[in-house]
Amino acid sequence: MPYKKPCLDPNSPKQHLSQIISEMGTRDIYSSVSFCSRCGSCQQDCPLYRLDPQETNSPRGRNQALRLILEGKLSEKTNRSLFAKMVEDCTLCGKCTRACAGKIPTAEHMLELQRALHIKRLPFSLQTLLQQHAKHPSLFSCLVRTGLLLRRVGAIRILELMQFTRLPAFAWLRRANKLLPKKIHSLNSLFRKAEIPFTPEKPGCIYLPSLEAVYFLPDLALQTVRLLSKRPPLILTQQASGLFAYVYGDLRQSRYAVYQLIKRHAKEKKGTLPFVTDSIDLYNFLKKAPQLFTAWPRLQQKANRFAQKVVFIADFFPKKPAASSKQLPVLLEKSALFNQEGPAVLSSEKFLLTLFKKNLVQCFYTDAEIPAFGYGFTCHNKAEQLGLQTAQVVARSQAKTVVTLSGLSALEANYVLRRFYPAAKAVHIVQAD
Amino acid sequence: MQLPLSAREELKKIVGPHNVRTDEASLLLHAYDCSLSRTRPDALIHVHDAKQVPAVLSVLYRYHIPFVARAAATNHAGSCSPLKGGVILNLAPLNHILRIDIQHGFAEVEPGVITEQLQQALEPLGFFYAPDPASQHVCTLGGNLAQNASGARCMKYGATLDHVLEADVVLPDGKEIHLSRAHNGPDWIGFFAGSEGTLGIVTRLKVKILPIAKHIKTFLVTFPSLEDCVQTVTDLTAKGIIPRCVEAMDKPTINAVEKFAHAGYPTNAEALLLLELDGSPARIYRDIASLETICKQNNAVQFIPVKTEASRQKLWAARRAAYSTMAQTAPNVIVGDGTVPRSQLPAALRKVQNLLTEKNVQANLLFHAGDGNFHPHLVCDERNPHQTQYINRILKQILQICLDEGGTISGEHGIGVEKRSMMAHQYDKNTLALFSTIKRAVDPENLANPLKIIPVNFSEKAPAAPVLPEAILQLSEAIKKARGPVLIAGRHSLQKTVPGVSTLSTQTLSQIEDIDLINYTVTAQAGVPLPQLRKTLAEKGVYTCLPADEGTLGGAFASGCYPDFYPHVTAIEAILPDGTAVKYGGKLTKNAAGYNLIRLFAGSQGKFGMVTKLTFKVFAAPVPVSVTRTFQPLEKNELWQRIHPAIDKNQKLWQLKEGKNAL
Repeated sequence: MPYKKPCLDPNSPKQHLSQIISEMGTRDIYSSVSFCSRCGSCQQDCPLYRLDPQETNSPRGRNQALRLILEGKLSEKTNRSLFAKMVEDCTLCGKCTRACAGKIPTAEHMLELQRALHIKRLPFSLQTLLQQHAKHPSLFSCLVRTGLLLRRVGAIRILELMQFTRLPAFAWLRRANKLLPKKIHSLNSLFRKAEIPFTPEKPGCIYLPSLEAVYFLPDLALQTVRLLSKRPPLILTQQASGLFAYVYGDLRQSRYAVYQLIKRHAKEKKGTLPFVTDSIDLYNFLKKAPQLFTAWPRLQQKANRFAQKVVFIADFFPKKPAASSKQLPVLLEKSALFNQEGPAVLSSEKFLLTLFKKNLVQCFYTDAEIPAFGYGFTCHNKAEQLGLQTAQVVARSQAKTVVTLSGLSALEANYVLRRFYPAAKAVHIVQAD
Repeated sequence: MQLPLSAREELKKIVGPHNVRTDEASLLLHAYDCSLSRTRPDALIHVHDAKQVPAVLSVLYRYHIPFVARAAATNHAGSCSPLKGGVILNLAPLNHILRIDIQHGFAEVEPGVITEQLQQALEPLGFFYAPDPASQHVCTLGGNLAQNASGARCMKYGATLDHVLEADVVLPDGKEIHLSRAHNGPDWIGFFAGSEGTLGIVTRLKVKILPIAKHIKTFLVTFPSLEDCVQTVTDLTAKGIIPRCVEAMDKPTINAVEKFAHAGYPTNAEALLLLELDGSPARIYRDIASLETICKQNNAVQFIPVKTEASRQKLWAARRAAYSTMAQTAPNVIVGDGTVPRSQLPAALRKVQNLLTEKNVQANLLFHAGDGNFHPHLVCDERNPHQTQYINRILKQILQICLDEGGTISGEHGIGVEKRSMMAHQYDKNTLALFSTIKRAVDPENLANPLKIIPVNFSEKAPAAPVLPEAILQLSEAIKKARGPVLIAGRHSLQKTVPGVSTLSTQTLSQIEDIDLINYTVTAQAGVPLPQLRKTLAEKGVYTCLPADEGTLGGAFASGCYPDFYPHVTAIEAILPDGTAVKYGGKLTKNAAGYNLIRLFAGSQGKFGMVTKLTFKVFAAPVPVSVTRTFQPLEKNELWQRIHPAIDKNQKLWQLKEGKNAL
């Protein structure tokens, strides 16, 4: 007898993934959740559970909650506050999936629940600002630059003195002020100085810089482009990746943004060019592109072709780099959205091992996690505790340099290290040597 | 059922308002464990301080509210399901390692400490904690004690009960007691191990830690049949080689695991052994030569020494991935846990394989070859009730096969609710009645994890006790008919005549019934004199840790003078003060089914009944003689004061105030 397959939000299917694609194949949300055999293997890998060991904080508990909702045994309306907390607290790091015997994509399940409950994780002002990146990139760029300029003239300091940043809607300004670098360069001017064209005549690859590389870490974008010098990249600075909408916003927006990227990619040399990113979060997300289009088979085929071409910058590192002159311990921080395993992380690790040899400290981060991709803006207190744990791990390993796989993680890690362990600093892997 | 408002308020005062949850979502999220059992509690309490536990249990006792302690909830038997509702006590936040003392070789921990976390803390200090359940990266030490968990190293180092030195326990009425192996009397810690939270809650543990073996050699050996594989382990034991780990897999499991983990397991093998030796380099070097010879004598196809630590880790990771190979094929994996005497392992496995083929069920078969403990991994989808019932029926048939081969329904996972009904197949009415008496004595209100372990209607379903042999029957009748106090006497106690006390001697029980050179066990009656026992064993080329004292076997066991002997005892038969005979265990290395009667009678100085027969492990090489304690009167702790009057209602059994080492 076929099972009755419940779904989360039958009235608005387009706001949800119709199928979830994981290592174990394509499954609808109910099947995917039901494959959790409640063995609990995930618990000790979840940074949240380790902070506060309760079932509501464990990936097993998250999956069971979703299953109970789908089976109609729990009402999402009456228990909304608890579910909202479960969703907001999840760092989406995917460590649970790595530990899981059945490779259950719990992070995806949490995002589906977030979409069903219409939870806005980010403060309204930040959400509105970041939404503009997809809708009106020029306006977004203008707003960011104005914000940065105001910051340089001390506007945020004034707001802080006026206690304005104590309002929940603007509390993120305080964190952003501490997190983001003091000196700001324009990517355009840097590229112009370095005589790097945004659209080369014969592009050898397409490069989609992460948001942080465009606005806050232009050196990262510059060095990435230099690494790609043998394959002159077509640089897409104004194009939204859809990652923000996928994690914090509307799935339809995310789908549209990815569709735009697929189209752009297909336009250049019939979609044969590698599509490079500098952020592991972005890489993991774009690899998931086919999942967004499971309801549209032809689009999914295109998305499949696109996803195959997505590569992380680590794949362009020299195969035999000259050993680094640095003789200080280096630590690879693997935190990433959705998953921390796969070829991108492996090739990064291999590269660092060739570069730093014995100075690369083997640390598996069983008890620490840099909360990635804006988690600090949504769950400030939890991010602080997780950050402190990370600093402890870095201190235990005596590492002087922490190498991250995304610019945002580098910023977050530096923020944490500055406070708790200033002897170390974090850099993106592109800037590792 | 809702908690009374006043009870809720009192609990909130103890643990804080945020730690008492009664919302539907929190309750349903604490209604399950790794088994298929799922029952909703009435409230959830997060315990953040061990000192809160007695106060919480006192409140629950006053209001007659049942409770279930829970930490990681990773067990496969449904031990954490609150079958009568009530309160779930989440002990997972009690996860602190309190002290590590490498000088005296112990660690003090809270019950929520993850087993692997303790291992990680000990490793830099050059020490390790021996029990290594496959789920050690998620299971807790408190849970390990509650289920008497063990693992691959069990054959050499034993299960959890042998590695806990002290424990702080809170009884169901909130009374705190301290259990220690240094105390005279029954081995209360051993007895408490495997009780699945039905007798109380552990709030602090002191566990034994051992220095890490500096030299470990790992071997992968393939065989043309499972029989050869098991025979190899038997021959190794006969030669006096006790490997650190002996893990075995059948062909379907090898293929599944290799396909999943690519660890280098030879897929053409019918069966394989993963063996590890540890100790001094000289000892290992000597053992390797014998090991290779024995393997080749048993038709080993390949004998592969594992050369690097990375390869070794890969092989073990693949072995642990057996669960994952099945978890990826279906939503639910049911992990069986049957144990048979090692000699019966090939027969049991053959029967299980035939059953699985006949029923057309896909399963992985893994086994700890040294212990006769095997874990069939079966899959189902609990959304399909018919399929789930079908798989459950097959699992019960597998457990019945274990029982038919003289085994037990649980080696290390416990009984919980999933295997509760099978207890009536393993034990007779008298033994189950004793379990029930013990539970009632310690927990008269039936509040601590109620309805677990003991089958509900065992008096109807369990078989009657077997007919006793003439000699034992006479003793049974004598105890039953005795009106005044009775002194159960071995050889020493006979010389002590107490006015007004009748003496019941075990002299008529003087047979060594069985010397099993495959399982390396001896079954002997309690009245066998120790010198005769040692002499007979030496003639057969086997050894025990008991000294050639003047006493008897039963006396050595019950006097409390030879605590090192307790871990070697695998089965016991005894007559209770009301004349009923009980039987527990078999020729088994592990048994996690029911309350551990061996450890209850050990050192009890005949106050719970007369031990009539013991089965114990022997060794192919001489073993150090047990450390002897002087005979001391029993320490009557709270458990004693509750259990003893319940078993010996008329205070019939007399106890010597002084005596010699062996009674």
